[in-house]
Amino acid sequence: MKEIRIHGRGGQGSVTAAELLAVAAFADGKFSQAFPAFGVERRGAPVQAFTRINNEPIRLRSQIYEPDYVIVQDPTLLEVVDVAGGLKEDGMLIINSDFDADTFNIDTKAKIMTVNATKIALDIIGRPIVNTVLLGAFAGATGEIEAQSIKEAVRERFPGKIGDRNAKAIQEAYDMMTEAKK
Amino acid sequence: MKILPGGVCEAGSTRVNKTGGWRTFKPVYNYDKCIKCKLCELLCPDSSVNPRDDGFFEFDYDFCKGCGICANECPTDAIDMVLEEK
Repeated sequence: MKEIRIHGRGGQGSVTAAELLAVAAFADGKFSQAFPAFGVERRGAPVQAFTRINNEPIRLRSQIYEPDYVIVQDPTLLEVVDVAGGLKEDGMLIINSDFDADTFNIDTKAKIMTVNATKIALDIIGRPIVNTVLLGAFAGATGEIEAQSIKEAVRERFPGKIGDRNAKAIQEAYDMMTEAKK
Repeated sequence: MKILPGGVCEAGSTRVNKTGGWRTFKPVYNYDKCIKCKLCELLCPDSSVNPRDDGFFEFDYDFCKGCGICANECPTDAIDMVLEEK
């Protein structure tokens, strides 16, 4: 079973990202679940969203305390939240940032990767909404899920132009991360 | 910050919660164009525009969320919204 935790701020689409990931995994023929955990329910407050993906039915219903992968939508959260909390040593931490991974001083043995998702989102989608971009980056960096499945999940949720633009941004982030992994 | 029994907190707690990190774009003044009309200060929803001694204004980046209302309303386009590196 693979467990993914997404850190974001209220209004950034963390919950949507977790749901899209679960839908995409389902399309890959796997079992999946997604759910959020809020602290204070208002815009800007730190939010966590969880996705579990498994080849067998998932009985577990708890929050995710020892994730395989962590996605951080907003680098300013690193000062507020322990994003690497419980992260497995062979796991991966994906941060949306302009800077390189080694500029972050994070207490974890897991691999840290950064992707400038804000720039990709602004260039292609035209708005600084990074959740779908980071899902593309996740697919590229981990190979846990097909980029095509994520694109289909996004297109289904956001039909028309918005879905198309998001799909393009997902492919861009996917290509960038598969390149960075080499 | 001290929280009293019953979860009652002291007044002014918003000052402790710095919201500047939420920004994607950051407002920057071009003081050559500014006519000191005060609109940005009046319209800022986060009171993040503060007057200076010389009559101009400056941004409080600890609390500015980068909404861009000031740049949108500025009659002389003296405020640029700049993509912030983070």
